[in-house]
Amino acid sequence: MGGRQIMKPQSTTPPRWAVHFFKWFCNNHLAEAVLGDMVELYERRRKSMSKWKADSLFIINVIQFVQPFAIRKKSSSQLNTFDMYKNYFTIAWRTFLKSKGYSFINIIGLAVGLSACLLIGLYVKHELSYDGFHEKGDRVYRVNMELKFGDNHLDLAVANPMFGETAKIEIPLVETTTRLQWYGSFLVKKGDVNIRERNVAWADSTLFDVFTLPMLWGNPSTALREPNSIVITESVARKYFDRADVVGETLTINNTESRKITGVIKDLPSNMHFQFTSFVPVVEREDAQESSWAGSQNWNTYLLLKAGANQDEVTTLLNKMLDNHLGPELKSILGKTLNEFNGEGNFFKVSLTALPDIYLHSNRIGELFGVGNIQYVYIFSAIAACILIIAIINFMNLATARSATRAREVGMRKVMGSMKSALVGQFITESVLTCVVAMLMAVGMVIAIIPFFNELIGKPIEASILFTPQVGVVVLLITLVVGILAGSYPAFYLSAYQPVSVLKGSKGSGGKRSVFRNVLVVFQFSASVFLIAGTLIVFRQLQFIQHKDVGYTREQLLTLYNIDKLGNRTESLKTSLLQMSGVDKVTVTGYLPVNFYRSNESFFTSPSLEVKDMISAQKWTIDEDYLQTMDMQLLEGRNFSKDIAADTSAIILNECAAKFLGNHDILEKKLYRLVNEQTKELKEYRVIGIVKDFNFSSLREAVKPLTFITGLNAGGMTVRLQASDLTQTVSAIEDKWKSVVPDLPFEYSFLDADFDQLYKGERQSGNLITYFAVLSIIISCLGLFGLATFMAEQRTKEIGIRKVMGASVSGITTLLSRDFLKLVTIAVVIAIPVAWYFTSRWLQAFAYHTELEWWVFAVASVLALIIALLTVSVQAIRAAVQNPVNSLRSE
Amino acid sequence: MKGTYLGEFEELVLLSVGILFDDAYGLAIVDELEKQTGRTIMISSAHKALVRLEEKGYLKSKMGGSTETRGGRDKRLYQLTQAGKKVLAESRELRNEMWKQVPKIVWEGGKL
Repeated sequence: MGGRQIMKPQSTTPPRWAVHFFKWFCNNHLAEAVLGDMVELYERRRKSMSKWKADSLFIINVIQFVQPFAIRKKSSSQLNTFDMYKNYFTIAWRTFLKSKGYSFINIIGLAVGLSACLLIGLYVKHELSYDGFHEKGDRVYRVNMELKFGDNHLDLAVANPMFGETAKIEIPLVETTTRLQWYGSFLVKKGDVNIRERNVAWADSTLFDVFTLPMLWGNPSTALREPNSIVITESVARKYFDRADVVGETLTINNTESRKITGVIKDLPSNMHFQFTSFVPVVEREDAQESSWAGSQNWNTYLLLKAGANQDEVTTLLNKMLDNHLGPELKSILGKTLNEFNGEGNFFKVSLTALPDIYLHSNRIGELFGVGNIQYVYIFSAIAACILIIAIINFMNLATARSATRAREVGMRKVMGSMKSALVGQFITESVLTCVVAMLMAVGMVIAIIPFFNELIGKPIEASILFTPQVGVVVLLITLVVGILAGSYPAFYLSAYQPVSVLKGSKGSGGKRSVFRNVLVVFQFSASVFLIAGTLIVFRQLQFIQHKDVGYTREQLLTLYNIDKLGNRTESLKTSLLQMSGVDKVTVTGYLPVNFYRSNESFFTSPSLEVKDMISAQKWTIDEDYLQTMDMQLLEGRNFSKDIAADTSAIILNECAAKFLGNHDILEKKLYRLVNEQTKELKEYRVIGIVKDFNFSSLREAVKPLTFITGLNAGGMTVRLQASDLTQTVSAIEDKWKSVVPDLPFEYSFLDADFDQLYKGERQSGNLITYFAVLSIIISCLGLFGLATFMAEQRTKEIGIRKVMGASVSGITTLLSRDFLKLVTIAVVIAIPVAWYFTSRWLQAFAYHTELEWWVFAVASVLALIIALLTVSVQAIRAAVQNPVNSLRSE
Repeated sequence: MKGTYLGEFEELVLLSVGILFDDAYGLAIVDELEKQTGRTIMISSAHKALVRLEEKGYLKSKMGGSTETRGGRDKRLYQLTQAGKKVLAESRELRNEMWKQVPKIVWEGGKL
């Protein structure tokens, strides 16, 4: 019994908040009696059910009473609200006019902040929208292969040729599959000239079953069935025929072959993870039917799952399927069972990436096009938030600082009987109004800026989506939220004034009670210092990449294309180029350190093909002039030579590959490569040299093993020019080209430009961050400027008296600036550790990166201090040089 | 007639108030209705009907009769007014009248 009595008081109270809520909305007629009823019912329930259940039922009961018959009628609803709001608007407008300067700073600051946010919002929306438009997009997955053997660990976005087809046959959950592979580029004849068409892909005939690529002309189900057919986009069609209905016409490719156009599709939307403009059928490729599970993985394979299929389930089934096929193959090549293979720490694993995730969340080897970076989406969202907060803080600071001027108004209103809620309403209306004006300006700015912005980020974003209902609602919501947020503090701060003290004349409240305002200023400047430091570090990293010693000299290297079509004229072109003045060296190969060539091969150190002796390395085919042309450094051994016939089986390694063979006596060691998986035919190579490591892929990655063999690869011709007049030399080379190969276009690029292209994404982001950082600083300063102006005004009399008493101009300037500088200093102390943390994490993503140095942060801090000081002291000096007679004359 | 229209639920509530006599308050009325009809009655619908009936003048109420189980809160005790009694009587009269007019054969299950 005693126990129950102790239990009782705590177990019989329904949730207090629900009781309060009920009391709040329910009218007096019912409140007491109904609450009594509900408590009684609650106690009755507690005897038979758990507290949690009884509580829930109680809450449901309370909610059931939210009905007109029970809700408290507001007495104020009988007042004329229209007139009240009209009055709010009038007052807001008058306040606007009365202090044009502040209003201007307020609105401009807010508008700039908002426009920056809108721009970033549009950018982020675009990034997030990739591949969101496919009709069956929620069922499409890309196959990824992760392999580990020996010291090689590869995470691939591609799979072996028969993977998709086998999955379709063996796994009922797979509805269909399609494959894509880069074709590269080809020349298309238009009249007498050849035009290069880039972005051509091999595609399966099922392409249009998986992706939503609306076909304007032609039959999507048969378009890619027949050899020598081609599907092109509308703009390609218009380029060659000036019209779109060109199905049945023929394109002459590379001067020799002809392809029949079987389909014209709409141009691919810019938010698709591949941007091909022409598709040719896979059926032409014999190797596409090869069943080789451990061998080459080079097809981007997509699966369309049946409705309701589960990704994890399918992944498990795919891995089983892979194991089943891999086992026999490993047995025949390596003489090992799958278990033995896996037991040595090796594995083959399949995973799936959902179609909409490919762009932002997958960065594997063999992605079709450059992918986005979710990191940047986060960074930019954070910047947008920072800028918005800075702008809001400006608004709040200026409004509260000006409170003194409005204190009398508040006092008067209160005396006249205004309620606190009405005053809050008034101030919030004012700030929402300001915000609406600012938003209108911001939208105007965005429309004006967006062409430049697009150029900066390399994306076609249209400002018109701001006016679509979906985005429009968000924009409106932002306006309201910012307005209410920015207005709330001033509103509650001002409306809390005691009319007696305000009207009595103690007006100093604007200057003294400013702790909260100081906190805001500190926060604002922390954000600015953070952005300055971040910008400096991003910039230094980009500089670092640009000037890093990559192991070859990339300036003055000219690459010529269309070499593969020259045939036996290649050698004569090379010879005649070498005779020209201004040309230093010439090499023929398509393997350049800038175009991400991926030709991974497996080499073995012993003919027994042990997995542990295996090294996965790039195999680049070059000629004997390559190393000299590229200015690569041989550390040991010798270059290939034309005069030594045995050099056809010679191999040169980079340091990284050499390390794999041991530390010394590497020259003359042997390497083996499996040429034919069926016959197990091996090719033997003899190491003749070691070349210094050079970067041949993104500097985000460390240098990987690479080998050179000698032979003819006609993927390009690279010319080292002398540092004389480059344009003149290039035009001389063009003339030479035209005389040797008049039938092919002269196409070239400079290697350093190609190199820069690799870091375009980084550079674009770096530039963007810089612009936004500058913006945020400007907005902060606007706020600070307004605040300083106000402070100086507030202390006009004090300054006058100080001057009369003999204070110097510099003394007064210091006096006025000191407070602000203190705040900025605190901001610096807070911001630097935060900035250090985030920038060091960003840098970690690069295999080669600059060190974080203390002086970067020092520069950022000093910069912030100087900017703040300049802003404040302009006002301080203006106040200090004033004639005290003027300020003291009037009372 | 339209102004004095009484819904079925309202009629049941009025009758419950009559049955409970001196302890007719929200929860007791809910209990009574549930007991008599076997339906589940939401406490809010009972109160809603009570408020409406009071507005129509069929019920009057006063506060009182708090118990400890209610957290010491008063009940709102309802009582039938003269108008309330009258409307119930009228409703019953109407029904009786109509009952009488149904031919016997209907009840005896005969064919037409």
